[in-house]
Amino acid sequence: MGKRSSHFGVGVTQTVGRLRTGESRRLLLSVCGVALAVALMISVTGVAVNLAGGSTIQGDDVDYWIVPDGGSVSSVAVSVEGPQLGAVHETTARLQADERVTFATPVELQILQIDTDTTPEYVLAAGVIPPESGERLLGLPTNQLTPGDPHYADGEYTGPWTGEAIVSGAAAEIVGLEQGDTIHPARAGQNQTFTTTAIADGDLSGGVGPVPLIVVHASELQTLTNTARQDSADQILVSTNDPTVESTLAAAYPETQVLTRAGLGGEDLSTSSLPVAVAVAALIATVAIGTLFVATLVGLETIAAREMIAVQGALGISTSSQMVIVFAQTLTIAGLGGFVGTLGGVAGLQVLNVGATIFGSVSQIAAFHPALLAYGPGVAFAIGVLATPYPAWIAARTDQLEVLS
Amino acid sequence: MSGELQMSSMSDSPVVQCTEVVRTYTRGSTGGLFSRQSGTSVTAVDAVSMAVQRGELVGLAGPSGSGKSTLLHLLAALETPDTGNVAITGMNTSSMGERGRTAIRRDHVGIVFQRFHLLPSLTALQNVALPMIEQGSGKRERRRRAQSLLEDVGLGDRLSHRPAALSGGEQQRVAVARALGGDPDLVIADEPTGELDSTASEAVLDLLADVAADHAVVVASHDPMAIDRMDRVLRLRDGRLTDG
Repeated sequence: MGKRSSHFGVGVTQTVGRLRTGESRRLLLSVCGVALAVALMISVTGVAVNLAGGSTIQGDDVDYWIVPDGGSVSSVAVSVEGPQLGAVHETTARLQADERVTFATPVELQILQIDTDTTPEYVLAAGVIPPESGERLLGLPTNQLTPGDPHYADGEYTGPWTGEAIVSGAAAEIVGLEQGDTIHPARAGQNQTFTTTAIADGDLSGGVGPVPLIVVHASELQTLTNTARQDSADQILVSTNDPTVESTLAAAYPETQVLTRAGLGGEDLSTSSLPVAVAVAALIATVAIGTLFVATLVGLETIAAREMIAVQGALGISTSSQMVIVFAQTLTIAGLGGFVGTLGGVAGLQVLNVGATIFGSVSQIAAFHPALLAYGPGVAFAIGVLATPYPAWIAARTDQLEVLS
Repeated sequence: MSGELQMSSMSDSPVVQCTEVVRTYTRGSTGGLFSRQSGTSVTAVDAVSMAVQRGELVGLAGPSGSGKSTLLHLLAALETPDTGNVAITGMNTSSMGERGRTAIRRDHVGIVFQRFHLLPSLTALQNVALPMIEQGSGKRERRRRAQSLLEDVGLGDRLSHRPAALSGGEQQRVAVARALGGDPDLVIADEPTGELDSTASEAVLDLLADVAADHAVVVASHDPMAIDRMDRVLRLRDGRLTDG
């Protein structure tokens, strides 16, 4: 064990020494290659993390989501085509009656086409039952919406049409709305328009920037989108401070699941598996490119250093010990590249976000996660391990006599 | 006197002994996918017998192509003869595999090369300590011995210098110290003064003479000054020993 670790140390010392003195441009190039690959991977993974984490619809005051069991946990995210819950007003009222529940509201999500003076625009419309307390829902304040759901009266959609809408800054910009302006949804009835009650900066984002969102009363959106017949919605949000309510929520509907805030991981909340796919693709590309790059260049370096390998053999250093030295060299190259690349990748995240802000008017497209600091070096280590066999094979087949003669 | 066992007058058992050693190479062979043409067979070492004992400084002289390098390789257990035996401290290396011969070199043979072959990124101390790692010596022990050896060769003030910061003569002295690092019985030197000026050559030859006090040392050289310093000279021509 001591002999192996000493040989490993020799390999590290040799490699660092050659890098420090600039003796080998190939080794320097290898480090740069790994660093570039890892930096790109970290940057792309940061985008994936942002995609996963930023696509959720969640407010600060909501503790549980009841979502249909037909799809996946992604139902809680921006989804307008998944399975829905029925009789949501009745169920919400029943849950609201539970004293452990602070408030409950169905959330109906629909993409609405809005007629404008020029071209039609699309926004995400969320239908909710605003609580008395005016909590923020989906990142927007609801205190300027009439509490309750006036249009849904006595189980019928015959109550007064409030037409109140809270409009996010992004939606106001896209549609060109100012407070008090009328919103004309396409194919809406004559009296089924909305008025811009307030414009607020919401914190809802879809991974590539703020989501253009309007929040209206649930029954009015249901009426517009023909989901009133089954009184359906995509989910029910329940705010509570009492965790014992979870079993009650689980029993509210068959074949549903109850998600807690703690259970909402970034990946799980994705609208699709895209973020995971992006991250995995980046990982595979990095490992493949990094391994081939390091194996090739360290292999060439090993060929160039075969005189030294032959000398080491002549001095009685065994083949297995020379393999340890080669392994140490490869791992040192990959490790240094991984370290530099991770730092570069983290810096790249900042550059991406600054660039997105300047050129795309998007505040954030990539997110940093502390795990990335371990991820980069970890992948570099894997590259080092995978790249070792080729230079090790070259070292093992070095003919001492041919080189020394 | 090829084919004859040339023994020194010393009574101890030899550190290295060759008996009727023959080594033949094939040159110019060509091979294709479907055919192969054999080349010319060249006998590099032809029925050589010799022995070197501890305390001897033996020179190996001869023109280029006479078989000096091949004989050195055989003596150093870098290769094996086609026929005949090579024994180092009584162990026959002729029938050993690569692993066994590597172990023999590790424990019994020190080699000094013409072009020093020091690892450029390691210090003089680290270069000398390198073979000791393979012997399983601890770090402190390696450092102590390497430092002592470098002091013995007059480089006690160059411990942390890298080869590029040393003169040719100093590098060769480091190489000699490295060859002694494994506490060998036999030291093989292949043209140790070939890259040095006369002053540095003298210093290295003095050093090898000192080493020969308690080791068996074989030096292959073209350098008349080096040959003159040997206790005994074996001359090779066309792979055969001509006199001793």
